[in-house]
Amino acid sequence: MTADTISAIIVSGVVLGSLYALMASGLSLVWTTLGIFNFAHGALMTLGAYLAWTMSDAAGLGLGLAAGIAVAVAVLIGVGIVMERSVVRPFYDHRDILLITVMTTLATMTLIEKGIQLVWGARLKQLAPIAPGKVEIFRTTISAQELLIVIVAPLLLGALWLFLRNTRIGRGIRAVGQNSAAARLIGIDVSRLFIVTFALSAVLAGLTGILLGSVRLLTPSFGTDPLVKALIIVIFGGLGSLSGTILAAYVMGIVEAALTYFVGIYWTPSIIFVLLIVVLLLRPQGLLGKVVR
Amino acid sequence: MFFLKLRTVAIPLLLVIGLLVPIFVQDTYIRHLFIIAFIYGIVASSWDLSLGYAGIFNFGHIAFFGIGVYAAGLCAKLLGIDPWIAMLIGGMAASAAAGLVALPVVRLQGVYVVLVTFAFSQLVLQVVISQSQITGGTLGMVRVPTIELFGYNFLRDYKLGYYYVAFALLVASAFCLRQLVRSDFGLSLKALRDNEDYAVSRGIPISTQRLKVLVASAFFAGIAGGFYVIYLRVASPEVFNFSTVSLVLSMVLVGGTASIYGPIFAALGLTFVLEGLANVNGLAEGRFMLVAIVMVLVLLFLPKGLASIFSRK
Repeated sequence: MTADTISAIIVSGVVLGSLYALMASGLSLVWTTLGIFNFAHGALMTLGAYLAWTMSDAAGLGLGLAAGIAVAVAVLIGVGIVMERSVVRPFYDHRDILLITVMTTLATMTLIEKGIQLVWGARLKQLAPIAPGKVEIFRTTISAQELLIVIVAPLLLGALWLFLRNTRIGRGIRAVGQNSAAARLIGIDVSRLFIVTFALSAVLAGLTGILLGSVRLLTPSFGTDPLVKALIIVIFGGLGSLSGTILAAYVMGIVEAALTYFVGIYWTPSIIFVLLIVVLLLRPQGLLGKVVR
Repeated sequence: MFFLKLRTVAIPLLLVIGLLVPIFVQDTYIRHLFIIAFIYGIVASSWDLSLGYAGIFNFGHIAFFGIGVYAAGLCAKLLGIDPWIAMLIGGMAASAAAGLVALPVVRLQGVYVVLVTFAFSQLVLQVVISQSQITGGTLGMVRVPTIELFGYNFLRDYKLGYYYVAFALLVASAFCLRQLVRSDFGLSLKALRDNEDYAVSRGIPISTQRLKVLVASAFFAGIAGGFYVIYLRVASPEVFNFSTVSLVLSMVLVGGTASIYGPIFAALGLTFVLEGLANVNGLAEGRFMLVAIVMVLVLLFLPKGLASIFSRK
């Protein structure tokens, strides 16, 4: 194994890991705060990318990417709020909230995906890259857009971390995640924070979609593959903590890049799944996770 | 009580109606819809066994169905095994896969069960797509042999043979599933679902029971998959899609969990409604959005499914 191989694996692993981290952190945020798993997260990502495409692409409105991002963020905040109100909130006091919201968010996923297919059609689309061209890092060539993803992902995640740590709302969200009954007792408006969290996670999904939309082709089921990867990451990392999830995302990206190099793209998913089963047999709560019921 | 009496009359009546349908329905296309609905009925009701009765958050059921599809299809097509036996192999392959998934699943709690079963179904999909020289990949598998009996090809007479095979499979699986849930085994599953700690303290082996129920429910799904591929003669990886999952899930929910019959009727109803809507202008894609909305509405207002309107408890 030459130095070139190693650098190729690490560079493409970090690109993958950055995307996975963005994707999985939105899921993890909703999980720790609301205690539900949002299967529509991938569909929200797709929606963000399509909205940005319509606003920015010449075949759409041609208003530039900044307008696309602004509209996508605004719409996703709305969608996040509506989703929380309609398919999550009615079940908060239910004994099987976890199972029911898996089903309702799955239904929402179908709704959004089919809606996208209805509005935009099944023809492939692609967002123009924010950063065009190619760059060479450690003698490995990647597109400038991929480099942008590697830079933007930690910035976004850092901003999220600062928000959760330093603002009143952010601290409230963490308090609810740690103990929602106690948070309620000290006067935190828990129900408002649930909405904020859901909207925040939807925006994260949308931004991820916009970043990914210029690397991969847009289809209505564009969010499925990242969702499944994020799903595996949160199993590996444990759903409990944001930092654990982000760490697991980067580890997973590098493992996947290495496996793809050594065993090929076809057997990689199987090997990852076998690894997953082994991890779960030894540590049912995930590699870094705490016991969650 | 009213419902119990109704049931003793209704079941034989429905059996007779089911047997007589082909006399009144000569149209191949309508018969085809019945056959598809029966298949969905088997898949939905067997899912109800693990999801509704045992309360296992099993979202890999469609993958078990898909494994049945591909195991039976490949055995019949590539190995030249008799299609009847291939269907059975489909069931056994699905059971074997369920046993594998059960290894981690019986030790996990809550959302991790959902995640692992979902991840499993995606893995199966990936394997099918990647082994394209065997499975046909994304293009699908074509020209699977048909079933015959004493030289009679079941495709003849406007799919008459297939109709009865599908109906027989549905009746047999409904009967087996009812027997299962009413047995001591079924009661122990309900006990585990309703009060796990108490059930365990009374000596019910939780892991063993969960393993058994996953293997059993996958068997029915696998047989249904085997029949599906032998009947349609083609298979594509689309059977593993999230949309298939949410369609069949909506059948289970609309029909009512933990009832076995409910999902079967919902499967029949939804298949015909969806097919009817497909011909309405502009609803070809929109109909699945409607199903998604109905599913959420049922969860909101009728958590026990539409069957709960009639049961008058």
